[in-house]
Amino acid sequence: MKRKRLLLGLVSGLMTGVLLTGCGPQESGSDGSESEKSDKLVIWEDKEKAIGIEEAVAEFEKEHDVTVEIVEKNYAQQLEDLRLDGPAGSGPDVFTMPGDQMGSAVAEGLVKEIAVDETLQSVYTESAMQSQMVEGKVYGLPKAVETTMLYYNKALISEEELPEDLEGWFNYSKEVRQGEQYGLLALFDQTYYANSVLSGYGGYVFGKNSDGTFNPEDIGLNNEGAVEGANEIKRFYDEGLFPSGLVGEQGINVIESLFTEGKAAAIISGPWNLEPFETAGVDYGIASLPKLSNGENMRAFIGVKSYNVSTFSKNAELAEELVKYLSSEEVSKIRYEKTKEVPAVKALAEDQEVMESDASKAIAEQSQFSDLTPGIPEMNEVWKPTDAALQTIATGKSEPQEALDQAVKSIKGQIEANHGGK
Amino acid sequence: MQHRKVALLLSIVPGFGQFYHRQWLKGLLFLLITISFFIAFKDLLNMGLWGIVTLGTEIPRDNSIFLLAEGLIALIVIFLGLIVYYLNLRDAYKTGVMRDNKQTLYTLRQQYEHVLLKGYPYLISGPAFLLLLFAVVFPILFSFAIAFTNYDLYNSPPAKLVEWVGFSTFKEIFTVDIWRSTFFDVLAWTIVWTIVASTLQVALGIFLAVVANQKEIRFKKLFRTILVLPWAVPGFVTILIFAGLFNDSFGAVNNDILAALGIDAIPWLTDPNWSRFALIMMQGWLGFPYIFLVTTGVLQSIPEDLYEAATIDGASVFSKFRHITMPMILLSISPIIITQFTFNFNNFNIIYLFNAGGPAVPDSTAGGTDILVSWIYKLTMQSSQYALAAALTIMLSVVVVSIALWQFRKSSTFKEGA
Amino acid sequence: MRNRSRLIRLTLSYGVLIVMSILILYPLAWTIGASFNPGNSLISTSIIPKNPTLAHYKELFEGSASLPYVQWYVNSVKISFFTMIGAIISVSFTGYAFSRFRFKGRKNTLTIFLLLQMIPQFSALIALFVLAQMLDMINSHWLLILLYIGGLIPMNTYLMKGYMDSIPMELDESARIDGASFTRTFWQIIMPLSKPMLAVVAMNGFTVPLGDFVLSSVILRTTEAYTLPIGLFNLVNEVMGASYTTFAAGAILISIPIAIVFLLLQRNFVSGLTTGGTKG
Repeated sequence: MKRKRLLLGLVSGLMTGVLLTGCGPQESGSDGSESEKSDKLVIWEDKEKAIGIEEAVAEFEKEHDVTVEIVEKNYAQQLEDLRLDGPAGSGPDVFTMPGDQMGSAVAEGLVKEIAVDETLQSVYTESAMQSQMVEGKVYGLPKAVETTMLYYNKALISEEELPEDLEGWFNYSKEVRQGEQYGLLALFDQTYYANSVLSGYGGYVFGKNSDGTFNPEDIGLNNEGAVEGANEIKRFYDEGLFPSGLVGEQGINVIESLFTEGKAAAIISGPWNLEPFETAGVDYGIASLPKLSNGENMRAFIGVKSYNVSTFSKNAELAEELVKYLSSEEVSKIRYEKTKEVPAVKALAEDQEVMESDASKAIAEQSQFSDLTPGIPEMNEVWKPTDAALQTIATGKSEPQEALDQAVKSIKGQIEANHGGK
Repeated sequence: MQHRKVALLLSIVPGFGQFYHRQWLKGLLFLLITISFFIAFKDLLNMGLWGIVTLGTEIPRDNSIFLLAEGLIALIVIFLGLIVYYLNLRDAYKTGVMRDNKQTLYTLRQQYEHVLLKGYPYLISGPAFLLLLFAVVFPILFSFAIAFTNYDLYNSPPAKLVEWVGFSTFKEIFTVDIWRSTFFDVLAWTIVWTIVASTLQVALGIFLAVVANQKEIRFKKLFRTILVLPWAVPGFVTILIFAGLFNDSFGAVNNDILAALGIDAIPWLTDPNWSRFALIMMQGWLGFPYIFLVTTGVLQSIPEDLYEAATIDGASVFSKFRHITMPMILLSISPIIITQFTFNFNNFNIIYLFNAGGPAVPDSTAGGTDILVSWIYKLTMQSSQYALAAALTIMLSVVVVSIALWQFRKSSTFKEGA
Repeated sequence: MRNRSRLIRLTLSYGVLIVMSILILYPLAWTIGASFNPGNSLISTSIIPKNPTLAHYKELFEGSASLPYVQWYVNSVKISFFTMIGAIISVSFTGYAFSRFRFKGRKNTLTIFLLLQMIPQFSALIALFVLAQMLDMINSHWLLILLYIGGLIPMNTYLMKGYMDSIPMELDESARIDGASFTRTFWQIIMPLSKPMLAVVAMNGFTVPLGDFVLSSVILRTTEAYTLPIGLFNLVNEVMGASYTTFAAGAILISIPIAIVFLLLQRNFVSGLTTGGTKG
């Protein structure tokens, strides 16, 4: 017994000794990371988009005498990877992400503020620039904008025949619907696509405060307009104008193949389909989205992809330089030619050459009637419940009002749970 | 003063106790180990211990989470060091006792042999336990530590430092309505899932083994091979294939099979109840071959004369099954059956790969088919609710461990006297 | 009377077996069919493709930067193989220690580890990442192998100990009397007799890395370092550009060799499992 106590005493004595010597890092944080500048930059570019910046990067390397490594990674995934790779030192200096992740990125401190003056800001379209700002600070520069648009198969329907509004498409779809043949197809069971209808009738995701910021407490997804919009959507499903229960995440692949196989006359999709359709050799045309039955335009979400500087960059100044260079008018134009991503540069939108393409015309046109995908962290909580509600509407399992009320309730609960009191 | 006390006191500096006993080589060994320990781990111990207490003081220099992990590693290293230290003290003391009792001390060679003999089991299992310490214990310590911090989306490095907050996360699980209701929903489904899916696969496996092993059945080998196939194909592959087959709109189950039978398409992925049903069926498919294999082995080992005797007594096929086959099977494979339950309780892959825990359901932050593990995974990886996920992990562990402990008590494997 | 009930029983039995066989073979056949279908999505996929194509297999072997399938395959086989070897070695040692020696902590350590292992570790993925970083072993297959082995030890030691307990003690006692060391007894007596259980441990060791995409995707950060589960999961899961058919082709190439090995070794597994799991 006595021996044990003696041992214990000795051991704990040693413990305290170790603890006392443990007094943390010797030097303060002002130096350290900043001083060890590397002459190498890493940029994470979106999948299959590196081809658009290769030339520009080579130019940049020459001018600044650095090596820049380009790594391709799905752009929606990059922020998640940065969380681990950043602190580990295996992260990028420059990366790209969708605008709606900006809120989280800033809250977690993964993205670095950059110095962008008014003149530089005015190069880009206002909404695109807006997506890069949180509380008045700029965290990146827009790389490309996306909205949804209407693709039509010229073999099935000519430009003149295109119905003007959704009502017209409804009737057209009814006419041509037989066997495996469809008129207009859209992924209205997903928030991203359905929102263009809902908000055209007056629904909205988050209301705005007087200073233009989003108010996560004001959710307009179950107001009168939203329900009216949902009813409009429901008709397409009720009449069997969409393939039985075209629902779920795989939907995008489904309407893609139906369109390429000539089984659908028109689909609503984004610019990411441009290349696949071209490769598949479809003779397609592009137009902006049809009007709604109430005469309003469909209000699609604008998605902004951006170049941002990682907080963990050891060479942030140069990285910032690279961001500015890659988002410049000159490089944006090359990028557009190579990757068909529509740049957010105002001057290019007026450029004859760029405007010649139907896609950029459609996107530019659509952008006027569209809202930015909200970039506050609370937006994370919107997608899933709303998708679920739309799915139950699409499959006829519940009525729009009921389903949307439920969704909003879920969203509010989620926001309270994940963002409450913060 | 007795030798044992002197030696013990001197051993505060490792090796000196041994020097006192004139065991120079051993003493030197202890001393060297101690010195190299401090040289090798000086930085780790310094930073780690400071980090685990403060979780960092300055942004962006300090990353709380990294500091916490380093601190835990430092604690493990200290733990290992203390074991050596303890051995040092014990050795000096014991040798001292021998001297006090006027016994002759071991020679070097004797000592070496003694260590080899007494320490043999430790020697051969030591490396494995070292590995376990880092692969199993360290992550668990980390989870436990995280549960007592405020680590979430709004308190995460590099923007913010993480702080120790005590039990407040646990409190949140029971006081915030949506967390509480989600927790109990998920818990309920996890229990149902574990029981139903495990029972199904076990029952199916036993049933098919009995059917396929009847004496009269021909092509036994062929049937056996086919029935074992689901076990031979990697599970993650099969689950992803099933996810495709069950696709509401374009999966073969709806379009080919049910359509051929004249049944309307079933919302496998969008209706929670159908999703659950599909999952249980799939787990039956995936899990029965294992039981089938084992049961087949048991069946082949049941002595034939048991049945013959029963036949003479006029027992029917069914009563032979009930009174001979079934008890034999249950007796021999019950430990395996238990592992099936624990496996399904933590069966993350099938839930996540099939439908990512979906579909979404109202009044819940988890999906309709989420079990506790997949919910924890989603909280960590998707909602950045790290502390909450860790707190749930702890609560979950308490449940699992107590059930398992109760089971182990009943099973005999760890009783002595084997 | 007897014959009739026998007839009914046999008919029913064959019926059950045939129905089950169809249920098992159908998804597998469907996957084979899908891998030969042109296009990417599920929609026009059928068991017997109208225009069969080898395009997906070709794509896998082209080795583009985003789909280095052959590299993944090599990685996976390597990781599985060394995990298997490591598991066999460490588990047979620990199994031997727990089965044959009475040492302090014997009764409780293994139980404790078995219990600890049931605790899900998802909230600690970051910790393992930090560990990898401290060791400078991010993207290291060896670290992953060590972690897998660590995870495999408790359950398999439990099984191995059970099996070794069924080997009569007299055998090694007589060897000891003849002057054989512990290690020699282990290699010459225990190991050869434990073959069926070694097969089970080998199987567990080989399949665990093939079923994991969570831990591996935390440690392995670049496409070239991926294993098949991560790679194939990404193929199906990418919201845009998911490719079911390519996945099917990739899945078949991994499943067939494994299935063959399994079927060949199943006899060993059966005797290992029935003895190891039951004897105590």
